[in-house]
Amino acid sequence: MQSDEDLLGAARGGDEAAFTALYRRRQGAVYRFALHMSGDAAASEDVTQEVFLALLQGGGRFDPSRGTLLSFLYGVARNLVLRRIEKKPPEELAEEPLADDDVLDDLTRRETIEAVRSAVLSLPTQYREAVVLCDLENASYEDAAAALDCPLGTVRSRLSRGRAMLAQKLSAKAVRSMS
Amino acid sequence: MSEDKVLQALKALAENDRDRQASFAVEARLLSDFRSRRASHRWRWVGIAAIAAGVVVVVLLSTNRAPKPAVSTVPAPAQVPRQEAAPVVAVAAPAPRKAGRKMPRPQAREVVTDFFPLMDPAPPFERGQMLRVQLPAAAMRTVGLPVREDHLADPIQADVLVGEEGMPRAIRFVRFDVQ
Repeated sequence: MQSDEDLLGAARGGDEAAFTALYRRRQGAVYRFALHMSGDAAASEDVTQEVFLALLQGGGRFDPSRGTLLSFLYGVARNLVLRRIEKKPPEELAEEPLADDDVLDDLTRRETIEAVRSAVLSLPTQYREAVVLCDLENASYEDAAAALDCPLGTVRSRLSRGRAMLAQKLSAKAVRSMS
Repeated sequence: MSEDKVLQALKALAENDRDRQASFAVEARLLSDFRSRRASHRWRWVGIAAIAAGVVVVVLLSTNRAPKPAVSTVPAPAQVPRQEAAPVVAVAAPAPRKAGRKMPRPQAREVVTDFFPLMDPAPPFERGQMLRVQLPAAAMRTVGLPVREDHLADPIQADVLVGEEGMPRAIRFVRFDVQ
């Protein structure tokens, strides 16, 4: 299988099949990243399109020494998403009492998923993007650091803090749903 | 709630959304854009090839013919191009007027663009020649000037600044306004 970088090189040389293969390989990850960051399917489609347009226009800005092509795509998507959501103030972390570990088990699977989706969307942006990349998209810490343009340690700390916030939010939500 | 529970919840969300992706309409729009870029790219190379061919022809003609009306020697500019729009070269010298002809003839005034560099980075420029060449309008796209699709093959006049080593350094395009 050709690497992303090889496909990009061929695509920039006018190879439509290479561009199509690269797009189909990576569009899902870009789309889901935008979706989990914004919660807006239509906006996520726009972001996906703009990311790959940017790749066609400025693929030369991709520097393999700074990270993988996927992290580059995440980085472009991140900038586009942030532009769209920056007007929305991040929700404050609710200081609600923690619930028992088993409370989440009481929610149905569907409710759980929607509760998690909602909780992720309510995280402050810097924690949300770390959680979305590392926990939802299984990006490596290195890729996440390259995409977020921050040190590896920052990714780890934001991820840790983001998970802690999620735990609080989900516990509070579970408590509310039981009452 | 423990971090393990949070990770489980995030994993459930990731699995639920694993197959979510942008619609086919996004791919269709991107492929359409890719094709139009590729077509434009081809015209760009047609333009470059035409410029190179024109330069070669004019250089050959100017070196094998005496006198050399189509070529003027240009002193070394401090920096390649962005030259004022003074008409440096006139290739086709106007035919001598017939004696006794009194009707004033409309005169064509040359309007030229700025110079556009053709080499990036360009080696130091010491001496060179300015050559007037005729090119397809597609050549204007090589420097980012807009040309309508149905005029790409139209002939246009251009001045090409050629370095001592024979490489085209810069180009400007000429329009004739009849006064």
